[in-house]
Amino acid sequence: MIEFYNVSTPGKNYPILKQITLNINKGEFVYLIGKTGAGKTTLLRMIYMDLLPSQGNVIVDKFSSSNIKRRQIPLLRRKVGVVFQDFKLLPDRNVYDNIAFALQVIGARRREIKSRVLSVLTQVGLNHKRYHMPELLSGGEKQRVAIARALVNEPFILLADEPTGNLDPDASRDIVELLEKINKGGTAVCMATHNYELIRVAPHRIIVLDNGQIRQELSPDNLKKLH
Amino acid sequence: MNLLFFMKEGFIGLKRARLSAVISVVSLCLALTLIGIFSLAGLNLKDVVYRFYKEIEIEVFLDPSITDQQVSSLQKKIMDYSQIRSVTFISREQALQEFQEIFGEDIQKVLKENPLPPSFRIILKPSFSTPDGVENVSAEISTLKGVQDVIYQKEIIRFLHKYLTLGITIATIIIFSLLIVITILVINTIRLTIHARRNIIQIMKLVGATNYFIKGPFIFEGIFQGALGGLLSSGMIWATSQAVKQIIFPELVIQNYVYLFIIAGGIFLGLTGSYLSVNKYLHY
Repeated sequence: MIEFYNVSTPGKNYPILKQITLNINKGEFVYLIGKTGAGKTTLLRMIYMDLLPSQGNVIVDKFSSSNIKRRQIPLLRRKVGVVFQDFKLLPDRNVYDNIAFALQVIGARRREIKSRVLSVLTQVGLNHKRYHMPELLSGGEKQRVAIARALVNEPFILLADEPTGNLDPDASRDIVELLEKINKGGTAVCMATHNYELIRVAPHRIIVLDNGQIRQELSPDNLKKLH
Repeated sequence: MNLLFFMKEGFIGLKRARLSAVISVVSLCLALTLIGIFSLAGLNLKDVVYRFYKEIEIEVFLDPSITDQQVSSLQKKIMDYSQIRSVTFISREQALQEFQEIFGEDIQKVLKENPLPPSFRIILKPSFSTPDGVENVSAEISTLKGVQDVIYQKEIIRFLHKYLTLGITIATIIIFSLLIVITILVINTIRLTIHARRNIIQIMKLVGATNYFIKGPFIFEGIFQGALGGLLSSGMIWATSQAVKQIIFPELVIQNYVYLFIIAGGIFLGLTGSYLSVNKYLHY
């Protein structure tokens, strides 16, 4: 479903990613770990083709970085949900409108928008706060709204870039539980994180990035090697 | 459906980013008002010049012994000149009557005869009423048979033409300089308001909106801002021109198309500004 073949991308003084080759399968849950600057965010950006490799090839579903056209990138992004550490919610509209926005911009009809927004809000447990403005929500709730917005287009993969970075331990655990629940529903999840405790609570395949290269891959059974 | 969505989002965008919208509308309004006022001043100056040119007269004195037949053939010949708008024949009797009306004296009684020759009063087409144009026509007419003398107010025409031309040139330079400066300023202001909302554009891109869908609401927002700025500016120009008309210059001519030009200019600036600015954030 997602394949990296010998992918490199240049940075200012040194390559950000160096000859990365990896696969993420359909419905899989993958952690991406590594120090700040290891290349986690860059790797995620390559999946939603915000960044194209200077060398090698990234294949996401039926799209390939080597021949994707600019006008096809929005079509790819409708199949890839993305959430960030800073939530990136629109502060000027309520929870419902923040999620509906993702459907409006792809030209969905009003009736369809309503039913899909309410359904995804129920999924993240925030139906009762649909008319709240983002500033009135806790960090965990904001991240749930961001996840709901990423999910509303029914993507095949959810990319989460440090989604618990701004959250307390309880809220972080709730978010990971929610991501696991989403994963069980068939959506693949690729989560970049620093928080090894969470990985121990919800163990899945781990890709360790170091200085732009994959240092090792760990299966959930090999968590002891994680330090 | 999309168009309605763009319009609605554009309108909501105005409400959501009230402060930046107000800044854009005010700068647009002031900029357009300046252009409008200078345009009106330029147009009125041009109108004054046109009226002055319409009144430039060349007097052609004819041989007193000229026959009626020769007069009509000469008049026909002069009318054939492409530069000439009208030729009026003034007979000796009419000239005497006019002299009496102007000076209040019966010159015929004093001199025992009418000394005034018959004449033509010639008015040129405004485009030929320049000092050189008047001089050329006068020179040509003075060579015609039956013409005794050709006179016109040479020095006044030269003086006024020089200063009116200078005035119009200065007004035109000011208007064009203003247009350039104001276009840059307004587009920059709109760019700043869009820069402040680059997060929205980033989120739109992330959720898979096409460029066309991202641009739409911003372009409509720009159009609304431009139209609003143009309308307010038209109101200010109207109020200013009414005041000028009543207090300083009652002959002020206010062409209605200036208002249309101002509103259209506002819409154009708003549209161009938002289009260029939003494009800056659309690279994938």
